[in-house]
Amino acid sequence: MTWITGAASEPAPAAGALSDVEMWRHEAGRLGWATGCTPVVAVVAVAAVAVLAAGDGAGRPQVSLVLLTGLEALLPLAVAMAATSVVATDRARELHLSLPTRYATVLGRRLALLAGATAVVAVVFTGVLWAAGLWSGPPVAASPLLWAPATAWLGALAVFVALLTRSLLLATTAAGGVWLAHQLFASGFAAHAWARPLYLFPVSRLDAYPGWMTDRLLLTATIVPFAVGVVILLRRPERMLTEEDV
Amino acid sequence: MTGVRATLAVCRYEFRMQIRRRSLWITIALVAGALAAGRFGMGPRYAPAPPGAPAREVMTRWAFLFSVILPIAFGMALADRLLRDRRLRTAELLASLPPGPAGRLTGTFLGGVAATGAPALAAMLVAAGYETVRRGDLTMIPWGLAAFAAVLAPALVFVAGYALVCPLVLTAPLFRVLFVGYWFWGNVLLPATLPTLTGSLLSPIGSYAASWLLGTPVLYAGIPGPLPVLRPEPTGSAAAASIALLVVAGLVPLLAVGLLRGRRRTA
Repeated sequence: MTWITGAASEPAPAAGALSDVEMWRHEAGRLGWATGCTPVVAVVAVAAVAVLAAGDGAGRPQVSLVLLTGLEALLPLAVAMAATSVVATDRARELHLSLPTRYATVLGRRLALLAGATAVVAVVFTGVLWAAGLWSGPPVAASPLLWAPATAWLGALAVFVALLTRSLLLATTAAGGVWLAHQLFASGFAAHAWARPLYLFPVSRLDAYPGWMTDRLLLTATIVPFAVGVVILLRRPERMLTEEDV
Repeated sequence: MTGVRATLAVCRYEFRMQIRRRSLWITIALVAGALAAGRFGMGPRYAPAPPGAPAREVMTRWAFLFSVILPIAFGMALADRLLRDRRLRTAELLASLPPGPAGRLTGTFLGGVAATGAPALAAMLVAAGYETVRRGDLTMIPWGLAAFAAVLAPALVFVAGYALVCPLVLTAPLFRVLFVGYWFWGNVLLPATLPTLTGSLLSPIGSYAASWLLGTPVLYAGIPGPLPVLRPEPTGSAAAASIALLVVAGLVPLLAVGLLRGRRRTA
């Protein structure tokens, strides 16, 4: 158990302690296959819809748009839901809180694993689309701006709500509701200059207007309040012991 | 008779357990409140009703407005109800009790639907109360109840059937992602964009019932698309057929799981 209890001020781990690789492997196991595979499932679902559309006679541009929408919209939703599960459902929370390693560190590792898996899946998916000639988004070098800000924003919102309310129901509904509202009211966001930078899916829904890249960076900046809120809430992780949704 | 009593007992238990979930009430209140607040600016184009509109139209527009996003909360709330027994390791204990698998499933479904629908019904009644005061028309409340029954209740039954059963196979996180994606694809996305059930009798957003109550097609009811047989003109009988189809389709996954569990018990 040294890998859990080990802290910077403590003596070096004893011989036979778990290595970093083993620790990350353990955290991947705790993440669960369903959560860890969510990004893959999202892109597979999008690919299936694209195949369905192609089978129905959709043209290449339409199929390409479906695939782009998957990367820009469905992947962030999937990751936000998965992040909510990471935060809201941990059966060994009491055990973690009794150990020297901060619970925030443990959650951070798991969320980092999810973020890493998401990045790998998104980059590979982008590469495959580009190689197949189905990429209709921005230059490939700027492709992370397509999915990363929206994923981080929606994920940060979901984690923040999960920690604040201690409710899986509220957190997942918030993420799902915000996602759906952005899909439904795209024209409303486009109509107001102040709302445009906050729009999550500008490339697939608003046709990547000039200046969308700056707006993506502005969107990324709006994650800061959520991140600060998450850090503050994790300073008292014992609040999570009384969550309603067991 | 004992079976019915046992099922009702399960239903009562599930209802009382769910109705006490503060997060359920808060979630529905927040979503309904956000939709009500946003309807003047960015809401769907059929809300709100103009001054002097009849109560039927006013309250149908409210139900229609709520049905756009509120079922997401229904699905999220019910997604872990059957998984919960497994996670808390009470499944075996519950299996040893008198109600059989079918009775327990039916009771859980009915109790879950009733409890999840209660905050949504409360939201409709608050909207009806607001409109009664604002427009001075006492028929807002009965029309609010009717709009809830025609537009929101079938959506709740449909969503509940899948939200209870699908997570058993997909796991709850995957179900939640796919459910939100489905809601957008199957209810809002135009068939011209992708093959979708939007605007068909099987759209749980309630486009046919709302169209019938409003007297004008809304939310693409009857729009040309795949499965033309499911896209008749939005009339009263089509609305009734849509409600019936949604309820039956919502019961299909429950029947499948009930049969499967019953067979496993006999084996």
